[in-house]
Amino acid sequence: MTHSTTHATTRTATPSFTLVITGAPYSSQAPQTALSFAKATVAAGHTIDRVFLYGDGVHLASALVAAPSDETHWPKRWAAFLEEHEIPGVACIASALRRGLVDGDEQKRYQLGANNLLKPFTIAGLGEWVEGNIKSTRTIYFHAGA
Amino acid sequence: MNRLHTLHILNKTPDHPRFSECLGTLGPDDAVALTENGVLGLVSSKALSSVQTYALAADLGARGLSEDNLGAAPIDYAELVNLTLQAERVISW
Amino acid sequence: MGMLIIIDQPPYGTWAGREALDMAFALAAFDQPVSLLFSGAGVNWLRKAQDTAGIEQKSVEKNLAAAPIFGIKAILADRAACERYNLDIKTMIDGAQLTDANAELMAQYSQAAFAG
Repeated sequence: MTHSTTHATTRTATPSFTLVITGAPYSSQAPQTALSFAKATVAAGHTIDRVFLYGDGVHLASALVAAPSDETHWPKRWAAFLEEHEIPGVACIASALRRGLVDGDEQKRYQLGANNLLKPFTIAGLGEWVEGNIKSTRTIYFHAGA
Repeated sequence: MNRLHTLHILNKTPDHPRFSECLGTLGPDDAVALTENGVLGLVSSKALSSVQTYALAADLGARGLSEDNLGAAPIDYAELVNLTLQAERVISW
Repeated sequence: MGMLIIIDQPPYGTWAGREALDMAFALAAFDQPVSLLFSGAGVNWLRKAQDTAGIEQKSVEKNLAAAPIFGIKAILADRAACERYNLDIKTMIDGAQLTDANAELMAQYSQAAFAG
């Protein structure tokens, strides 16, 4: 099988990960599981090439989340982690626009009344996911449970 | 260490259709890592497979499940990361 | 070999399946080998003669018909799920192949992923 050969070559370098989060904060546990996984990955000395938000996962990049003060603020927690480790966090543009998550450029393009993308997240196409999938040793998905 | 072909990360309850779909595709060299509500599979009457099964300790604890006598090896997030690298590939259900 | 994108959600009433199809098209656009597997309620994507005017959505049937043109290698349908939803090769769109979603099938792909 071809995949054995592929992984044998990638394993010789520092393992790297692309993490894909498709579950939204406050409706799924996915952002917490993914963040705990990401912290363990970094602590083990591995690289996280990027974090890609897809589907409902894009809500994690909203700057307008106002969680009750006694609950974890998942967008802020994730933003702090990404900034600390200089990991790109990318929200899929098609998922984001459908769900009302826009940056300044998209606000202008669609003449919307506001923008709400939390730093350091950026908005880009699925090509970012494809690239991560090719580049990283492993791509791990964090979906909504049930 | 035996060969680990596919690591199946399963975060659904046994009542979710994907729980059964996952069990239906397990191969002999595969392993299952139960996360989030997947750990409820350990106390449900639905039989888990005979393959090596792991369960995230944080998720067991949150749901009031003991780590003993559950038929799964408790793991932390660091061990989950290691498993994803040991496996030849990973599927998140 | 390549990626197997699995769609186990019905075509309407949820968006996860559409977003899975977008993932498959994106891989194909970058010349990455990709196939689609419809399992569970997802096999309802493959039923012929979908008329979606009444629910104000685009028909997924047309999207799916374009899949081979865009480079998606195969459209697979889990045999047992098709039986559960009363689908056979005659009532399914052209180009779909019946298969069994089991360990042997999964082993043919280097990766498998859901959209959500």
